[in-house]
Amino acid sequence: MGQDAPIRVMVVDDHPMWRDAVARDLTEAGYDVVATAADGAQALRVTAAARPDVVVLDLQLPDMSGVEVTRGLRAAHPAARVLVLSASGEQQDVLDAVKAGAVGYLLKSAARPEFLDAVRRTADGDAVFTPGLAALVLGEFRRLALGGGADGGGAGAPRLTERETEILRMVATGLSYKQIAARLTLSHRTVQNHVQNTLGKLHLHNRVELVRYAIEHGLADEP
Amino acid sequence: MSPAKVDSAEPLWRAIAVYRFASIGYAVLLVVIHRADYSRLGWAWVVIAVMTAWTVVTTIAYAHPERRTPLLLGADLAVTAGLLLSTAALQYPRAMQQGVMPVTAIWVAGPVLAWAVQYGRRAGVIAALIISGCDFVLRSEAITVVLNGVVLLLLAGVVVGHLARLAAEVETERQHVIQVEAASRERERLARDIHDSVLQVLALVQRRGTEAGGEAAELGRLAGQQEAALRNLVGGALAGTPATGAAGDVDLRALVLPAQSEQITVSVPAHTVRLKKEAADELASAVRAALDNVRRHCGEQARAWVLVEDEPALVTVTIRDDGPGIPDGRLAEAASAGRLGVSHSICGRLRDLGGSATIRSIAGEGTEVELRLPRRAGLPVARSPAAG
Repeated sequence: MGQDAPIRVMVVDDHPMWRDAVARDLTEAGYDVVATAADGAQALRVTAAARPDVVVLDLQLPDMSGVEVTRGLRAAHPAARVLVLSASGEQQDVLDAVKAGAVGYLLKSAARPEFLDAVRRTADGDAVFTPGLAALVLGEFRRLALGGGADGGGAGAPRLTERETEILRMVATGLSYKQIAARLTLSHRTVQNHVQNTLGKLHLHNRVELVRYAIEHGLADEP
Repeated sequence: MSPAKVDSAEPLWRAIAVYRFASIGYAVLLVVIHRADYSRLGWAWVVIAVMTAWTVVTTIAYAHPERRTPLLLGADLAVTAGLLLSTAALQYPRAMQQGVMPVTAIWVAGPVLAWAVQYGRRAGVIAALIISGCDFVLRSEAITVVLNGVVLLLLAGVVVGHLARLAAEVETERQHVIQVEAASRERERLARDIHDSVLQVLALVQRRGTEAGGEAAELGRLAGQQEAALRNLVGGALAGTPATGAAGDVDLRALVLPAQSEQITVSVPAHTVRLKKEAADELASAVRAALDNVRRHCGEQARAWVLVEDEPALVTVTIRDDGPGIPDGRLAEAASAGRLGVSHSICGRLRDLGGSATIRSIAGEGTEVELRLPRRAGLPVARSPAAG
């Protein structure tokens, strides 16, 4: 997609000034802003009808946590890709949203071209990794490998390959995919795929854990 | 007296009341057993009756903290001592010499406990000595029996006094912890609710200002700086709440995150990175030294990234810049000339901690400093990465 039909974007943010500014930027750049929402409940209500390709989501909403909204959005309209746009960059919130299915994370202080590029890449199915997100994902895999936390881990925990770790560390220290590709003599696409895989493993693990939790607590009739 | 002390002492006051009533029961039993030793058995029952009445009076009076005045506690001690001494007129002298327990028996410990709880160990000891003195006057011939009682009374005075003070301290501590926790929760709430809105506006001003150009761009730049500073403050307040858990441990993230600015990106894991305070301080100083180096050699506008990694056996901090890099040999040359901050303040600090520092540079692609600190501080490091 991208070339033929305009990318459909939904903006979820409780700050009206910011919401309008983002929507205007997107419209001016040729994106189709199909809906805006001021809180999580409203976002979940309209998303199925609006069918956005990308949801630009602020984590600090008045009614629901970023995790709940992300999970709800993925359930209501699985094709929507969630790009987290956060003002405060609170690490645990961001990590939780990413584990719940968000595929990208950007600080609100990011420049407009960077933001527009992130929306386009999210629509294309690429993960938008800032150095901050790479560090969070690295940290989470290490925590899981230790078997830490109540949400599983240890032997059954997903692991990063050496290559994936190497690439994430490079992303986390500010190298672009192009620079990484040059250093490792890989193609840009391969680097992108490696990064993407790390998120995929995290999402899969999270879904498995959710189902396991639901069965253990008698919340699900069928796995 | 602080209200905290009153709270923590309440169970002790109730225990004293129970003790007094129970000890009257014991005293009645003793009078029945030793009735042959009394010259005036009828009066012994009168003493028991007075003891019971006084116990009821003191129990009601002691129930309210504001009524526990020196007057009441003094009267308590005086009445008890008087009743103890009255035994002299009730028992045969023979019984005194044999060390038969006075009518009041162990009931006399009541005011000792009250003094200890109200005024502490020393007061408990004084009350114990006064009561013991009366007992001594009464039964001086049966010295060993009396001494037994003295020791037990003193012990009760000291132990209960100590216990009361301990309870008060624990209570004060608990109040303090609750206050601190409430304050930090309030701070978190403020951080989330208010700062988030301010951050949004600052980010917006930065964005619009930069696009507008001219003077507005300058405004935007300033807004951006404030946005970064405030975000650090909030992030730091949330992530770096003072170390709880193991004593002397701190969260390395809280020390490194403040370095974040427009040019410097600090990336950390979502969980706390625990280190001994000294080690964390030194490591953070090494990071600052490396960032200072970036500014000095690559200019104010050079970008830098800091990555904190936490593994079970190792904490790694990587600092990378996008400057021109260090030409081959210059680092070694400068170090041998003894004038480079890098080798001294970075490598030296890490070596002292039992870690290592690696400096890598690719011409045109910036410099990368990797600081590795093994978790078991003090042990020499086995790994020796290729020196830069």
